[in-house]
Amino acid sequence: MHVSDQPLWDIDAVSKAYPGVQANDRVSIQLMPGRIHGLLGENGSGKSTLIRLLSGVDRPDSGEIRLKGRAVSMASPTEARALGVATVFQEFSIVPSLTVAENVFLGRWPRRAFGLIDWDTMNSRSRDVLAELDIELDPEAVTSTLSVAQQQLIEIAKAVAAEAQLIILDEPTTALGLDEIAQLHALLRRMRDKGHAILYVSHRLDEVTALVDEVTIMRGGRVVSAAGNTAVQVDAIVSAMIGGDVREHYPKICNVTSEVVLDVSGMSSAKGARDVSFTLHKGEVLGLGGVLGSGRTEIARALFGLDPIVAGTVVVRGRRLQARSPADAIAAGLALVTENRKTDGLFFNFDGRSNISSASLSRFSHFGFLDLKREERESARLAQLLELSRGAEDKSVRHLSGGNQQKVVLARWLLSETRVLILDEPTQGIDIGAKLAVYRLINQLTAQGCAILLISSDHDELLAMSDRIAVIRQGSVTDIRAPNELSHADLVRAATGEDTIQGRKVA
Amino acid sequence: MRRIFDAQLVGPLAAMLLVALVVAMTTDRFLDPGNLANLALQVSIVSLIAIGATVVIFAGGIDLSSGSMVALLTMILATVVKTFGYPLWPTLAGVLLIGAALGALNGVLTAFLRIPSFIVTLAGLIAFRGLALMFNNGSPIFSLDPNFEPVFYGRLFGIPLPFFYLVVLYGAATVMMNNTRLGREIYAVGGNPAAAKLSGINVRRVQTYAFTIAGLMTAVGSILMASRLNSGSPNYGQTFELQAIAAAVVGGASLIGGRGNILSTLVGALTIVIVQNGLNLHAVPSAVQNVVLGLIILIAVGVDMWRTEIARSIRRLSGLGKRAAGATQPGPSSSGKTTTGNTTTGKAVAGK
Repeated sequence: MHVSDQPLWDIDAVSKAYPGVQANDRVSIQLMPGRIHGLLGENGSGKSTLIRLLSGVDRPDSGEIRLKGRAVSMASPTEARALGVATVFQEFSIVPSLTVAENVFLGRWPRRAFGLIDWDTMNSRSRDVLAELDIELDPEAVTSTLSVAQQQLIEIAKAVAAEAQLIILDEPTTALGLDEIAQLHALLRRMRDKGHAILYVSHRLDEVTALVDEVTIMRGGRVVSAAGNTAVQVDAIVSAMIGGDVREHYPKICNVTSEVVLDVSGMSSAKGARDVSFTLHKGEVLGLGGVLGSGRTEIARALFGLDPIVAGTVVVRGRRLQARSPADAIAAGLALVTENRKTDGLFFNFDGRSNISSASLSRFSHFGFLDLKREERESARLAQLLELSRGAEDKSVRHLSGGNQQKVVLARWLLSETRVLILDEPTQGIDIGAKLAVYRLINQLTAQGCAILLISSDHDELLAMSDRIAVIRQGSVTDIRAPNELSHADLVRAATGEDTIQGRKVA
Repeated sequence: MRRIFDAQLVGPLAAMLLVALVVAMTTDRFLDPGNLANLALQVSIVSLIAIGATVVIFAGGIDLSSGSMVALLTMILATVVKTFGYPLWPTLAGVLLIGAALGALNGVLTAFLRIPSFIVTLAGLIAFRGLALMFNNGSPIFSLDPNFEPVFYGRLFGIPLPFFYLVVLYGAATVMMNNTRLGREIYAVGGNPAAAKLSGINVRRVQTYAFTIAGLMTAVGSILMASRLNSGSPNYGQTFELQAIAAAVVGGASLIGGRGNILSTLVGALTIVIVQNGLNLHAVPSAVQNVVLGLIILIAVGVDMWRTEIARSIRRLSGLGKRAAGATQPGPSSSGKTTTGNTTTGKAVAGK
């Protein structure tokens, strides 16, 4: 076993800003050879940015990155790879139609004369790499025939074949089962013992504590607990991740009534919602808590008529809803603000006004003709209500900021007289001012009697803005509680795979 | 009405006027009323088909089948009128219906069976002409009906009828795109089908309607074609689909969908025909003419694709000039002027 005191990679006070957000603020972290280093933090804490800087995707605005004591500057992922950094992202960079060996040597295939690929060398060297890692795979098997876990192993074999000294894994286990996770961890431990440095990013605390040698915890773009200061222990990590009590930053107003507007019972969809039951009251905000991929978005899609419902019932304001398309759901008073406003929310070929009116065209038309004056009047009213930037209605939404774009999407559903509004990560990627505007809007809407289903991975936001919280795991509601019976720590635990939620009674 | 005169129309219109000015100054016959009337007749049929081609492009698709559909529809028309002896006017109504139905078929195959419209209409391009050849053993049918020719050659107040067809149908298409729910939905579906679906728009139905409109406009073009030559032929309409798409593209319609002004297509068609006329008047060989037309299409699309980059570099260049001017001659009045100028440019670029 090879251990040295000198860090392999020394990240010294690097900062990186993206428009509207300081993603990394003087972040320092040392990666030692022969150590597995855990990097933890909630969504938006700056972990991904740090990975991007280390793997040459982005360059820091300031600060220094040193390899074995020597300052380096990486202008591209290729340069980072040449310096021995291999990053395994959540999305694999594997070509399914190629063989295992071809993937292991992707882009660096050994050649013979005339540029022909030297298949024998490639296959035998792949066999050596796989054997070294105790991975039982046929180098000549076609990758698409393998399981997700096996494909993940190929990614790591690829890193080893490229003689990477630092291996970065970003949420490597989201798609893996328990056995496969154990197999992956055994492999990582062997690589550690061979002297590799490993940076391991995960949401699953149980897993991290079992694997890593040290942890760095990030919050709001900064390192809040450096390696060595944090014990590798769930409770210590959770309290460092949460930080101070931030509930008072949220302008929550409670408008809950006793009138049920949405009653879902035993609903299962063809794509991931399983036996979901809950009720939603007029003026209520029901938060859906859970990790990415827990099935919250799938529940929203089923309600909105995007995925077929195979069992159970959905009743909106006393009427059974069998939505076979979003049009049916909209007619019943539902609205869905999706997570990706850029891909399926906004019309970038339209100005703000046409974006706002796109779900209300039937109300604005008589015998097929649009009442453009009324469209202009009503969208102007909403622009004012939402404090949209001046002139946004006449500008292409391409030229609007993220916050204003989100307001445009929200305005669309205010205009369509929504009774039940589903918000999927409504404050993702927008600045704090626009976030506050969204919170105020949630209050306004509930005051008018609109009911809201709030999906958010920002636990502070979820706890502060919800009247009740449903914890979602694997497509099902596992528990519904009032936010004051749940602590942030409970949510983190529930979301990261610990089975029991210890409710804390506030008397 | 706010979208009739916008940046999307002003650019192509300016380009057309420039081309017309050059042709008028370098030849003496261009402005001759006879020449202009002839141009209008020459451009009318493809321009009408181009309405449908443009609507399909707005909806995010492409229609390659219109030229062959012209051949098929003129053969159906000729067979029904000449061989079966049916009366002319009801037959014309029937041809319009068949055209719309064939367009709807393109639409259903694209929208519901999810075959890319390029492939669906490429199949149509090949198959419709094949169907046209099955009539009358593949031979043209002449001398349909003496009452038929005035449909194309007739005049009202001394102005050829096709001029009125253009005004009425482009007017209707403009109203449809700007003032009706269907028009807005076509732009929405072409711009972002996923967002359109989530807005409750029936994306498949809208796509089908767009192709149906294309089929209907092709039928209108077919009737004028048959009237112009008082005949039907399986050879009519060759490359009409490409000319129609060229008109839309030169007019600034984006092949990505969702963007463009339908009137610009007419401007695009006129631009092409004016260039052709100019080259003819200068006795340029037709081989060279084709090369020039190809270049025009490339330039028109290039300008459209690089519009933002071009605007940015113009801004940067003017900004550099401004800074240089400011360094030598700092004065509140000059900087005030520049600001106003910039604001206007910004609006023109941002406006749809």
